[in-house]
Amino acid sequence: MSDAEGGRASGGDGEEFRREAVACLDGLYGFALSLTRDRLIAEDVVQETYVRALAAHRKAAPGENMRAWLFTILHNVWRNERRRKQPTALEDAPGLADRLVAPGGDPERALERNETQDLVRGAIARLPESFREVVVLRCVEGFSYRDLANILGCPAGTVMSRLARARTILRRDLARPAAARNGAA
Amino acid sequence: MTSCAAFRQYVAAYVDGELVGEDRAGFEAHLGTCPSCRRLLEEEQTAAALLRSASPLHEAPAALRRRVDRILPPRRRELPLRPWLTVAAAAAALAATGLAARALWGPRPPADARPADVASAFAAMAADTHLRYARGQLPLEVQSDRPEQVSGWFSGRVPFHLALPDYPVGPGEQKFYRLEGGRLVSFRSDYAAYVAYRMDDQPISLLVTSASTVTPEGGSLVRSGTLTFHVESVAGLKVISWSDNGLTYALASDVAVEASRSCLVCHGSAAERRKVEPFPRRPGL
Repeated sequence: MSDAEGGRASGGDGEEFRREAVACLDGLYGFALSLTRDRLIAEDVVQETYVRALAAHRKAAPGENMRAWLFTILHNVWRNERRRKQPTALEDAPGLADRLVAPGGDPERALERNETQDLVRGAIARLPESFREVVVLRCVEGFSYRDLANILGCPAGTVMSRLARARTILRRDLARPAAARNGAA
Repeated sequence: MTSCAAFRQYVAAYVDGELVGEDRAGFEAHLGTCPSCRRLLEEEQTAAALLRSASPLHEAPAALRRRVDRILPPRRRELPLRPWLTVAAAAAALAATGLAARALWGPRPPADARPADVASAFAAMAADTHLRYARGQLPLEVQSDRPEQVSGWFSGRVPFHLALPDYPVGPGEQKFYRLEGGRLVSFRSDYAAYVAYRMDDQPISLLVTSASTVTPEGGSLVRSGTLTFHVESVAGLKVISWSDNGLTYALASDVAVEASRSCLVCHGSAAERRKVEPFPRRPGL
C-alpha cells in the first residue's frame, strides 16, 4: 500500500465509514470500468479497493477527502493489477467502445438507457486510457486538478495538458452526428 | 498583445474553475474582445455540462453492491420491512369482513379520528408523490421488478437500510402486482425512498424514511399488535402510515383500489394470504 493511500484515510466511526464508502460506489465502478474496459475486472478492482480501504481505515488517522482517497486506492489497485498482467489487445479492439456503451446485460436496464449517458460513455470509451482517466475524474466526478494529480500520481502540469487534449477530442466527437460517431467506433 | 493561441490553452482550466489571478483576469479581458475565443469557450462549457450530467457514468451492479456490503463494517442494526406485511395483513382482514371500505374510507370518521383534512406531513407527502408518479411527472431512478435490485439501489443513497420483501408465487399462481422501481424524493432535510408498484394497471406507492425524521400522526388510529396505523384520506387517496423499528412508512393508493387488493403487494401468493392477521374489530363500526 502506498503512502498516499495510508495517509488519507478517514478514521473514526465504522458506520460513518460505511456510509461514505457506499456513497462512492457508483463513481468508483464507473472509474474502474473506464480504466479496465471489462465489467468483471472492474468489479474485482472495486472490491479490492474496498478491502484495502477497510484495512487502512482501521489503522489510519482521520483525514479529509475520503472520496479522493478511495479513487487513489482504486487507481493503484488497477496499476498493480495491470503490471502483473501484460496489457491486452483490448485497448484498440474494434467495437469495444460500443460494448461499453450498453449499461449491462439486464434487458430492463438496457431499456432505461439514458441517451446522454450513452453519448458520453461512448465518447469517453473512444479516448486513449491516459485521457479517459483524467476526463472521468475531472469532467464526470468533478475532482480538482490537485486531486487528480494525487490520485494519478503525476504532476499537475501533466494533468492539465492531458485534459486540454482530451477535451479537444471530446468536443469534436460530441459535436459529430451520431452516424459518424458509430462509424468511427 | 498575447495571441489567441496563448489564451486558448486557458480555456479548459477556466471551464474547470482552476484559472486564477492574473491569468484569469487576462483571459476574461481577452474574451471581451475576441468572438472566436468566446465561441470556443461556449463549446467547451456545453461539452463540460454534458459530461457532468452523465454522472454517475455507470451504476454499480447489484451483485457488486452486495459484495461491497459484505466487506464493509456491519451496520449496527438491520431494519427489515416487516411492518408493511402487518399493515397489509390488517387491511386485508378488514376488507375481508366487508367493513374495510366504510371503516377506513367511508364518510363517517371513527370516534378517535382527527378531522379528515388534517393529514400528517408524511401522509400528505405520500399522496402528493403518488399523484405525481401517476401523472407521469416523477420518473423512476431505478426500474426493476426485482426487489433485491431496487433495495440495492437504495443502499447508500438513503440514510437507512431498506429491504423490500419478495414473495414468490406458488405453482399455478399469478402475481397480482408488479414492482416497478423506485427513486429518491426529498423530505424535509433528507431523502425518503419512493417505491412504485402497479396492480391491475393502478399505481400503488410506498414511501419510507427514518422514524427520526418523521412519525405518523392524524387520521384514524388502528392498532394491531404493537403497531399503530394511521389511516387517512388525502387528496382523494387512501394513505396508511405507521412507524416500526426505526422506519416510518406510508402506503398510498387510489380509493378505487380495494384495500384487500393493495395487500397483495406483500401477499401475492396463497400461502402469504393465509398469514393475514386478524384485525381488531372496532366497536360501533
